Amino acid sequence: MTAKPMKKMIKYNRAESRTAYLCLLPSIIGLVCITYLPMLASFTLSLFSWNGLGAMKFIGADNYIRLFTKDTKFYASLLSTLQYAGMAVIGSMIYSLIIAMLLNRKVPARGFFRALFYLPYVLPAMAVYLGWKWLFDFNHGFFNYAIKSLGGSSVKFLDASGMVTPSLTLIAVWLSGNLIVIFLAGLQNVPRIYHEAAEIDGANAFQRFCHVTLPCMTPIIFYNLLMSLVSNLQVITPALSLTKGGPGTGSYYMCYMLYNQAFKSHKYGYGSAIAVILFILIAIFTGILFATSKGWIFYEGDDKG
Amino acid sequence: MKKLLALLLCVVMMLPAIALAADDGRIHITYSFWGNQTEAESVQAALDTFNAMQDKIFVEPMQIPNEEYTQTLVNYAIAKQLPDCGMVNENAVLYFARNGVMADVSDMYAGEALQPMDCITFKDAGVPVGYSSSNEILVLYYNKDMFDAAGVPYPSADKPYTWDEFVDVAKKLTFDENGKHPGEEGFNPEKIVQYGAFVNNWTWQMEVWALSNGGAWFSEDGKEVLINSPEAIESIQKVADLALVEHVAPLNVIPEDNGVGIGIGSGTVAMTTDGTWRLGTDFPNLDINYGIAPLPVMKEQVTLCTSGLTGVFNGKNQEAAYEFVKWYTREESNWEPLVLTGIWLPKSEYYYTTEEGINAWLGNEKYPYNHDMETGKKVLVDYTMNYAKPACWYFTPNTQITTNEILFTALQYVWSGERTAADVIAEIYPELCEAIIVE
Repeated sequence: MTAKPMKKMIKYNRAESRTAYLCLLPSIIGLVCITYLPMLASFTLSLFSWNGLGAMKFIGADNYIRLFTKDTKFYASLLSTLQYAGMAVIGSMIYSLIIAMLLNRKVPARGFFRALFYLPYVLPAMAVYLGWKWLFDFNHGFFNYAIKSLGGSSVKFLDASGMVTPSLTLIAVWLSGNLIVIFLAGLQNVPRIYHEAAEIDGANAFQRFCHVTLPCMTPIIFYNLLMSLVSNLQVITPALSLTKGGPGTGSYYMCYMLYNQAFKSHKYGYGSAIAVILFILIAIFTGILFATSKGWIFYEGDDKG
Repeated sequence: MKKLLALLLCVVMMLPAIALAADDGRIHITYSFWGNQTEAESVQAALDTFNAMQDKIFVEPMQIPNEEYTQTLVNYAIAKQLPDCGMVNENAVLYFARNGVMADVSDMYAGEALQPMDCITFKDAGVPVGYSSSNEILVLYYNKDMFDAAGVPYPSADKPYTWDEFVDVAKKLTFDENGKHPGEEGFNPEKIVQYGAFVNNWTWQMEVWALSNGGAWFSEDGKEVLINSPEAIESIQKVADLALVEHVAPLNVIPEDNGVGIGIGSGTVAMTTDGTWRLGTDFPNLDINYGIAPLPVMKEQVTLCTSGLTGVFNGKNQEAAYEFVKWYTREESNWEPLVLTGIWLPKSEYYYTTEEGINAWLGNEKYPYNHDMETGKKVLVDYTMNYAKPACWYFTPNTQITTNEILFTALQYVWSGERTAADVIAEIYPELCEAIIVE
């Protein structure tokens, strides 16, 4: 290549990247101003004691020390968040993969069923939780009515601190319509020829699932796992609308705790410290997922696969 | 053409500013409130009335969603853009006062014929910082039809139930699907069809039982936490045991500010404790033949009084704001929509101590409890004058932390029966003591 076209190329590239940056500018400004700067502010605030109206007092790491050494509610909160996220992620992944596989078959009225399972996801959250509240209610709820009619004794679905998180994860699983759609799209991309080849080799349906479907789906599983983990660690809606963090600290999830501490109790520094810890927690889990992903994700055309 | 369009757009955008700048010689003040569309319309109607009869002050409304109300006021305070006056959550009054937001209202009613009662005056270290717009007390509501069906005489307005009598009556009114009562052989607590009682366990209302049992939650100077006294602890346990041990009340682990809805209003509960505002907000919509009575008594006759506040904020238009708030919260300005509907009890002593004053509301045939004035006088008037104590937020700082966060969460273990009141209170006591300290 001679020098002249090269120069031209560089000039062209430069012009192109200038346009690109110009187009990116609004989102960069948005990202910086409404994500990164507030994050920074939140971290700074976590080193202060501030009630919103009075003077800000620098207290160093006191908020963090208090969280880890004095505040018993914080451990309870951490534990219930991990419990919720763990159960909700595993539950909704298995549930949506099964439903997606069923919907991927040539069942009658397939479109209708696909819409049906997606429906919970688009319903207004408040309405969904109110509906479930009635189902779970101890005194007059449908589930307990059914259990009692069958001769059982009432279950405190939302009224015992040990039961509330499993009950709420049930709702999360039921709400996972978006995962189903993504899984469905993934399933349709699993090449038919692999299945046919496996079939000719005499593999049964279960073997085909384990050795063809599952490996081909790993990139999708990774994506869904990541998204659902991040969003479930930040759970707050059921605690806000259904259980107010209770009973006791049963659903006192970290996001709810930080909301409560900062915006209800006016302990803004303390709330920010919880936010920072939650951020680190999510970063750790995401890091673990990415670090292990190379070992189990299969990309078509990848020689390592 | 484009330029012309741009110019036009600029002019249009400037219009509101021009309108605002229009000087009518009046002092413009802002009044902030929360509420739905209907409430916003009635607020506007009240402001229109005030503005029409005034040539010095003009009040503009500022509607803020209920959920974000306090936080929004905090934001405005930080930005030094506070409205001049407005509604304030009971919980947040002393928080705002301690941080210099609430104006001193000591002299607001100087020389006025109608003075708000002491019981509903918010005090920051003894200094009045706000008056509730009305009075509300806690009473016992009962379903007359259920009492008739069980052949039990109605609760007396003269002689309130002792706690034991209350539990006994509640047992008679509770039955399972086979008609068996608690304590009877064969009674199945899993299949209760009708409950005898529901004591509203919404956190601030629980304080009344500590007082009733001879204890308290906080000292009167708001500096000490007394909830760890045996009396206060016992009172909490007694209320929890209504559902857990006596089986006369529905389980309500995560409290809601909805005693009537969960209790008597559900049609399956015979007696419920709740505030007097329910006379106007709930009972007109419920098809229930109800009566009112004083709260049951553990050791002492007592009720709590409380009500929301319309506060004046520190600022340059304070005088105008005093004027407006005085007019806006007086009984006459709210006579038809709030007093006669039963939503508000009057806030001035005159309406409790003079025959004329009492007749004006209780004697008005529009008042929900007008049909039984004698009971109304005993339960509403006598109790307000002789047995009402202010709820803790009138004199204790940081109730948004103590009652609304710490106690609200911890007491749920008691309501669910997982832990005893003694156990829970012992654990959170140090946290409560720390929370009421004001720097």
